[in-house]
This record gives sequence, C-alpha cells and structure tokens, in this order.
Amino acid sequence: MSDRMFAVAVDGGFLFGELTPAMIDTLKGVPMLIESSDARVRDRLLPETCSDDEDEAHWRAHAVPELERLFLSRAQVVRRDLATVAQLPRSTNSMLLIPDEHVNAWLAALNAARLALYVLNDMTEEHMTEEGLRNATPKQQEAALRIELLAAMQGVLLGDFDEHPGDDDEGSDDDFDIDGLDDFVIG
Amino acid sequence: MAARAATKEQTDTKTSPKTSLAKPWNVIVHDDPVTLMNYVTKVLVQVFGYSKDKAHRLMMEVHKTGRSIVWTGAREQAEVYAQKLQAHHLLTTLEASDE
Repeated sequence: MSDRMFAVAVDGGFLFGELTPAMIDTLKGVPMLIESSDARVRDRLLPETCSDDEDEAHWRAHAVPELERLFLSRAQVVRRDLATVAQLPRSTNSMLLIPDEHVNAWLAALNAARLALYVLNDMTEEHMTEEGLRNATPKQQEAALRIELLAAMQGVLLGDFDEHPGDDDEGSDDDFDIDGLDDFVIG
Repeated sequence: MAARAATKEQTDTKTSPKTSLAKPWNVIVHDDPVTLMNYVTKVLVQVFGYSKDKAHRLMMEVHKTGRSIVWTGAREQAEVYAQKLQAHHLLTTLEASDE
C-alpha cells in the first residue's frame, strides 16, 4: 500500500490522507506563519501599496486593519480544521478534511504561509527550481519542500483552475518532489 | 493675512493633484516567484468577475512581463479591488493613471 499523500474530493469537502508527521507539522505552522510579527512576513503580506507617502498613509489607515483582521480570522479557520486531524489506524500518518466552505480560506492561508516561508528563509527565485536548490542551505531546502507541500495542497483545492495546455511552464511549481520532507528532522 | 493666504496656496498646490476624483487609478498585480499561476487566475476571476480566459491572459502578462494593470477606474473602487487582491496575497499596488 502506498504511503504517499493523497487527496480526494468527498461529499462536503476535500480529504487529504497519508499525511506524515512532518507534513502535519508543516500544516500546523500555517496559522503561525500568517500571524507572524516578523517584519519580513508583514512586509510581504501587507506590502507598500502606493508610492506616494500620503496615499500610503491613507491605505495603512483604512485598508490594512481590515486585512489584518481577515488574516487572523483565516488563521483561526485553519487552526480549527487542523484540530480535527485524525491519525490513521496502525499508522503514524493522518488525514485531514477541509470542508467546502473553508476552501477559499485555506487557499489564501496556504499562499500566505508559502510566501512567509520564502521570505523568512531568505530564498530567491533560483531556489524555486531543482537546480537552484542544490546550492541552497539545508534550511532553505527544507523550506522549499514545505513550500512545495503547501503548493500541492493548493493545487488540489484549485480543482479545475489547472493551467491551459501548452502554457509556458517556466517557473512551474512541479519542479521537485515533496517526499523528501520526511528526511528533515522536525524540531 | 498674507501668511494665511500663502499657506492656503501651498496646501492647494500640494493636495489638488492627489484629491482629483476624476483621475483614474490603476490596480497593478506584480509577479512573485511563489504564488501559483492558476491561483492568480482564480483570484482574478473571483475578484473582478472576469472570464477565465481574460483572467488567464492577465496572469500570463504578470508572469511574462512582471506586472499587469488588471483594472483602471475610480480611486475608491480601485482601493476596494486592491484590498481584495491583497486579501488573497497577490502582490498589488495602486497608482494614478497617466491617461
């Protein structure tokens, strides 16, 4: 029997199975990454929006507080779903159900977490390719695997929003395998 | 009196271009190496109600050129759209249009 992560659409949501402890650890990090107070994360999730100082101040005063509330609310949705993770019988692996009504929150949360991992590990565009990753530090390699896992889950949740056939797939997110995540010690 | 007049004139000079409601604003999405392409397409469909084809075209422009003006119009609405795009973590900026 394969122990690779799988995902199926079920009545009322998406079921992710055979999630290893390292994958669960990565998922549990998602709400924490969204809530991070690290300046690099905040700068990416709440970026400078207007080049004019006065316009930017207006944006910070009016738009940003609402965005912050939304991000925190999403982190709570993800945390609640993660609290329902069930360990499979006779296995160290687990399964997670993401209800249909939480799919949009998860999609955005997974994106936020991927962006946060990227900036927190000083990654560059080069690190997003298999070749570039060979020269990365072990920490960056681990972050890249976590980013890939979260991308794989996003891909499932995006469903029929697959790319058009024949697109230029430069910078594709299918460049490497997420199975190596278990090779890293999760501390 | 003269001082007050001078202050008013300076204020007017400084703020009038920014407060012109008639000037259209651009909502710009920028490329980033992390966000999935099909996620960008989905968000553009969701936020603007664009067809999947149009959203895909704009996404490809972002991917190939580094940015795309995804909407132009009144400032207030531009801010609403920019906020919605940032809610999905698309790297979004606003600028007054030259047109």
